[in-house]
Amino acid sequence: MAVNDNKVENKVETVEKAEEKKPELPNTKEGRLVKELLEKAPYAEGSVRREKRIEFKVPAERIHEFLELASERFEMLMQISVVDWLKENQFELVYQLWSVSESVHAFVRTRVPRENAEVPTAMDIWPVAETYEREAHEFFGINFKGNPRLGPFILEPREYEKHPLRKDFNTLSYVKTIYGDDFDRYDESKTNYVI
Amino acid sequence: MANLEVPKELREEARKHDMYLTPIAKDTYELFFGPQHMATENFSIILKMDGNRIEKAIVNPGFLHRGFEKLAEQRPYFTNIALLLRICVPESDVPENIYSMAVDEIVGWEVPERAIWIRTVVLEMARVSAWMFWIMGFGNEIGLYTPGQWAAAYRERFMRLFEELTGGRVYHIYTVPGGVRRDIPGDKWLRQLRDTVEYIKSKLKDFDEILFDNYIMFERTEGVGVMDKKFALKHAVTGPNLRAVGVPYDVRKDDPYYLYPELDFEVPVLKEGDSLARVLVRRYELEQDLYILEQLLDMGPPSGPYMVQDPKLKNLPRFKVPAGDAYAHVESTKGDFGAYVVSDGSHKPYRVHVRGPSQSHGVTVLEELLKGARLADVPVILKTLDNCPPDIDR
Repeated sequence: MAVNDNKVENKVETVEKAEEKKPELPNTKEGRLVKELLEKAPYAEGSVRREKRIEFKVPAERIHEFLELASERFEMLMQISVVDWLKENQFELVYQLWSVSESVHAFVRTRVPRENAEVPTAMDIWPVAETYEREAHEFFGINFKGNPRLGPFILEPREYEKHPLRKDFNTLSYVKTIYGDDFDRYDESKTNYVI
Repeated sequence: MANLEVPKELREEARKHDMYLTPIAKDTYELFFGPQHMATENFSIILKMDGNRIEKAIVNPGFLHRGFEKLAEQRPYFTNIALLLRICVPESDVPENIYSMAVDEIVGWEVPERAIWIRTVVLEMARVSAWMFWIMGFGNEIGLYTPGQWAAAYRERFMRLFEELTGGRVYHIYTVPGGVRRDIPGDKWLRQLRDTVEYIKSKLKDFDEILFDNYIMFERTEGVGVMDKKFALKHAVTGPNLRAVGVPYDVRKDDPYYLYPELDFEVPVLKEGDSLARVLVRRYELEQDLYILEQLLDMGPPSGPYMVQDPKLKNLPRFKVPAGDAYAHVESTKGDFGAYVVSDGSHKPYRVHVRGPSQSHGVTVLEELLKGARLADVPVILKTLDNCPPDIDR
């Protein structure tokens, strides 16, 4: 993931080392936590970003298995952030976990293709995932298999089908088609500019 | 008695949309609670009632429709402050701070000491004024109006101080990436702040007598909306609601930021997990926040610049942030407030995702706690959870 490399190299020297020689992790609370999880889940990649921040990359097909493992140490799922990487044609899901006992925040990243994106639900592990998944489904169109409440949540049905937080959703053109002539704020001729 | 029968066509139309204008069974009916009800604030709950008891509750957010996260992707970094702070109105400094902290981390700035001190003071002032706002709302829900009016008046003192500091009363647009927007007005302002803190501290006893130690309050909150520790952790409940079930998790202690590691304060914890415990945890926290403000004023502002010295800041609209991402969170009166900011190296954020604490305790938790409660308990449960609808519908 090119975007993160830049930042990680600048900030944490230990991660640089870890990337060169794979298994080396700092002998801290965070390092031990990453090591412990990676031993149980060899398919994942893990690193320490800085104090109290660790990071994992997991293939999408094994995400549920990994989250189940992680839930032993991370009691709370703080949110599920979705980033739409339009150029790479992928959605990145970031499960943000917080461990109350260890005071460590973990990013668990996974990537799915944009077309017919589907991930298993995390509701059985943390029931709160229901709300986050409803939101991610509504705004990005990701299907969470096993979540019974996917459907219009915050948006109206006509907006719900468009997935407004996707990068290729144009807010301005959508507003123009819905409100038509009533909406003269962004008149192309700029004669009717309200703001 | 007038004929109250609903026309057949209307009834069929309603049933098609999963609404029932007539009782489903004997004594069972559907009740729309909010958004017009005072307790709910831009929020609605669909209640399936059996007489006076709630059988099922369905949370229905989505009356705000502002789309801040999408708008934030279309605006430069510094302009976004004026946008994101509107997420949580009673405590508008919190979104400013989490967004600025995340951007600071991506850029790799060391924020000057003076700015750190000012940010800590602003956050604590925001907390105290948010407690005042909450006392007003909660008092009203259980029929105690006087403490609410006092609290509103005390909050006004903070708003005046904020106005002098930032130029804004409710929305401050003060904390920006790299520091704060302008310096503190001077020693007179610091004296006024100390006076205000001492004044409110002297009034806590009055609040205790009229609200927190009141028979009505105990009658209405004891044993209402009980949750246990495991339930709260699985549902990612944070803040005073989590501390009321016996988990001493506070972002200020567990993931320290700003000056909090140097300050001496306690994290109040109760075990019962009912509405009464949540109210009392908030009461103790108000006292701790006033104590923190006193300590900060004793420390005094360190000298130096209030903004990071960086040549990149000369052209703010084209200010570029290197590619990367960061998650920052602070302790607000509602709970753990976080922001995840992703940058692709341009002058606008690629993605901003805000974690409002009400996302967890305002949807699934509320639905669970309302099951089996009385209709009159709905505002009490809502207010003791301190639900802030804009957290959910950003």
